[in-house]
Amino acid sequence: MRRLQLIFLFFFTLTFFSFASEKVSSQRYIDPLTAKNLVKEKGAVFVDTMSYLECMDHRIPGSLCISLEEFEKRSPQLLKDKTQHIIFYCESDECLRAGETHNVAKTMGYENLYILDGGLPAWKRAGFEIESIIRIRRQPVESIKFNKLEEFKKQKKNLFILDVRSEHLFKKGHLEGAVNIPLYVLHRRIKEIPKDRSVLVVDETGKRSFLVCCYLINNGIRDVTRLFGGMKEIERGKKQKR
Amino acid sequence: MTVLKRKGLFLFFMLLINSFFIGDMSYGMTKVACTDCHRERRFTTLFRESVHGNIGCTGCHEPIKSLDRHIRKKEGLRLISCGKCHGEIEKVYNNSFHYLYEDFRCYDCHYEIHGLKPQKEQIKIAIAKNCIRCHPNEEYAASGHGASVMKGNKDSATCSDCHGLHDTKAYHTSTDKYILEAREFYNKACKSCHSNYEMMRRNNLSPDTVKYYEETYHGKVQDLGYPTSVAGCADCHTTHNILPKEHPDSTINPKNLAKNCERCHPKIHPRFAEYKAHPDYRDRKKYPILYASFVFMVGLLLITFAFYWTHTLLWWRKVYWEKHRLEALGIKLETPLNHQEANQEIKRFSIQDRVMHVFLVISFFGLVITGFPIKYHNAPWAKVLIKAMGGAHNAGLYHRIAALILIALFLITLWRCIKFVFPNGFEKKNREGWKERLFGPDSLMPNKKDWQQFKAMVKWFFNKGDYPHFDRWTYWEKFDFLAVFWGMFIIGGSGITLWAPELASYIYPGWVFNIASIFHSEEALLAALFIFTVHFFNTHLIPTKFPMDPIIFTGRYKLEEMWKNRRLEYERLLKEGRIETLKVKHPSISLKIISSMFGHASLWLGLIFTLVLLWTFFFG
Repeated sequence: MRRLQLIFLFFFTLTFFSFASEKVSSQRYIDPLTAKNLVKEKGAVFVDTMSYLECMDHRIPGSLCISLEEFEKRSPQLLKDKTQHIIFYCESDECLRAGETHNVAKTMGYENLYILDGGLPAWKRAGFEIESIIRIRRQPVESIKFNKLEEFKKQKKNLFILDVRSEHLFKKGHLEGAVNIPLYVLHRRIKEIPKDRSVLVVDETGKRSFLVCCYLINNGIRDVTRLFGGMKEIERGKKQKR
Repeated sequence: MTVLKRKGLFLFFMLLINSFFIGDMSYGMTKVACTDCHRERRFTTLFRESVHGNIGCTGCHEPIKSLDRHIRKKEGLRLISCGKCHGEIEKVYNNSFHYLYEDFRCYDCHYEIHGLKPQKEQIKIAIAKNCIRCHPNEEYAASGHGASVMKGNKDSATCSDCHGLHDTKAYHTSTDKYILEAREFYNKACKSCHSNYEMMRRNNLSPDTVKYYEETYHGKVQDLGYPTSVAGCADCHTTHNILPKEHPDSTINPKNLAKNCERCHPKIHPRFAEYKAHPDYRDRKKYPILYASFVFMVGLLLITFAFYWTHTLLWWRKVYWEKHRLEALGIKLETPLNHQEANQEIKRFSIQDRVMHVFLVISFFGLVITGFPIKYHNAPWAKVLIKAMGGAHNAGLYHRIAALILIALFLITLWRCIKFVFPNGFEKKNREGWKERLFGPDSLMPNKKDWQQFKAMVKWFFNKGDYPHFDRWTYWEKFDFLAVFWGMFIIGGSGITLWAPELASYIYPGWVFNIASIFHSEEALLAALFIFTVHFFNTHLIPTKFPMDPIIFTGRYKLEEMWKNRRLEYERLLKEGRIETLKVKHPSISLKIISSMFGHASLWLGLIFTLVLLWTFFFG
């Protein structure tokens, strides 16, 4: 019985590791120049995996704006050919959205998938152009640090906390009273945000909330503040307290 | 839709009227100006008065192809890159955080682009005000730097002095990447101003703070290229809320300092914070104890080397001259021993002594190789050595392993010394004869005879007497042993303190760590140079033993040698009838080869290191 358990454990470990390594090695990372050549030679298309707002604000020319969250729903219409060469990217070299979208596409049967190594910053560093279809005018935006949050809440009595993270992250944990409007649907649900209230924008790491705030200000929401460092800072603060 | 149509018709009508008077754009047969439609003040008066007023609309906007389509909002305005004129700025900006990660364009910071005028306000204030629009940092505004900038201090750091202006770095600290680069960059940014002599003097600040910081462990490791392992400027002074020491909210205020240190050194006693982060130990008034420690160690080094290097030089001269004299006269020193007796091997060191010495050599080199790159962090070889060891962290680990070996050897030696003096135990009846043993001929404890032998030796150096006769241990051998033995208290004690400063803070205050650093560093130099010059000469490089004496590895030497160099011991053993018991076989070939290889390797490594050290000391 014990021997059987050992054999089972051995094969389980083997399968786990082979699966894990396969998952990583199957992702093909390409540099900006290769990506550009791929477009020219194989008719590859770029897919910006950020939200619609971010993609329309700045993207690689000719990219399709399909966010990670909507890829499964929208790709059958936009990418009908499963042999189409697709290059996924996101807007920072730390972002994992391109890799995650790549995995979703793979399970859907797309065959020729790539990830732009280093994302949009690498593209810019290579000296290639980007385009702006609907630019969000940048605005002065106030930010608040997590250790001043309680004070801030007391100060802004009618505070509307807008959590722009995706639904599953919101479910895992959020600030008390926060309303979840994920960034990828924000342009469709902007009307749900009250114009007469102070708005605090919360994202994952504080990197996306600035643009969201600018978008809100441009849409007539005047009192907008962003949470510096996003939910990551809140978690860090909790750990420090512990 | 109807509104748009109506607006379009109105614009068309207006243009038609205007076309009779002015215009620089062809619309049909008529030329029109942009300002005919774009009549806002910022496009007319303000623009004309702005810094770009002379280049016109088409300086920044591409000419439109169809006015008709433009009026109907079918054709937008394409911007000409600002880099067309501001090429150098564009080049650096394209690698900046704002462009790469935030996709900022020139007009996002230069927001009144149409009415842009030469900056009347002091540039540092203007920059701070502009940055604060998006980064409303109340901490910075309250900090020493920010408050000074706003008061008009042209030396104080505004945002761009630390973060760059158009070249705001992509390794911004908000990203989890580029931590090393970020720390290097920001440390350098602080240092660039705080080491500027004129600037610091103007602002009543010490211009040598950076220099003193780089003399501490933190500064040295940071300078070697490992800023993530130690405290950099911002770790103690923070980033934006840098306040003067006297301010109650300052992180370096004595009340907050322990908490500040605790971020990197957990579980410390509050007196840990009495550590001086960048002291000038040459300043007698401000740091009297540090100054005294430094002077004491330097004095110890100077006295030791002045004495022993003179001793060595005189000895070398005498031996060489004597050898030359005998060779010239054709005299060969005869011994009363016959050929067989003269070649008889005599045991001098036990297997325990020999193994311990091998470990001592290994641990000593381990400590020297891993420790000296920290001491001489500025030297190019220091960086190479640390890199070869896999970084400062690994070097520290190897240093501690070597230190543990040395501590173990020290404890074994201590135990053996005790056993030597009290071989039968510590009970009163068993202690008998301990004084005789302690000051006897087999002991390494100095006695009157050593002083007499030293005097005789000096006379011999100056041709005023004969070469003195020695017993088992010569006075310089006793010094070799005792110097290492007592040195262990200084170097070991300071080393353990620096190894676990958090624990040490429960025994003594933080400024003791500063003293420990001075002691550890200078004692290491003393030990290394003493071993590599004095010890090496006395035991290996002296012309009678050159190039190497393998006795400590083989454990034996010839009876003839004993008769020549340790006549008193020879006579004593002969009298006691013990000489027979010490006779051993000639060492095996394998032992000779291994001894020779290990000995030569150690000797050459030590000599090379001495040259490197002296070169660093005088020219580095």
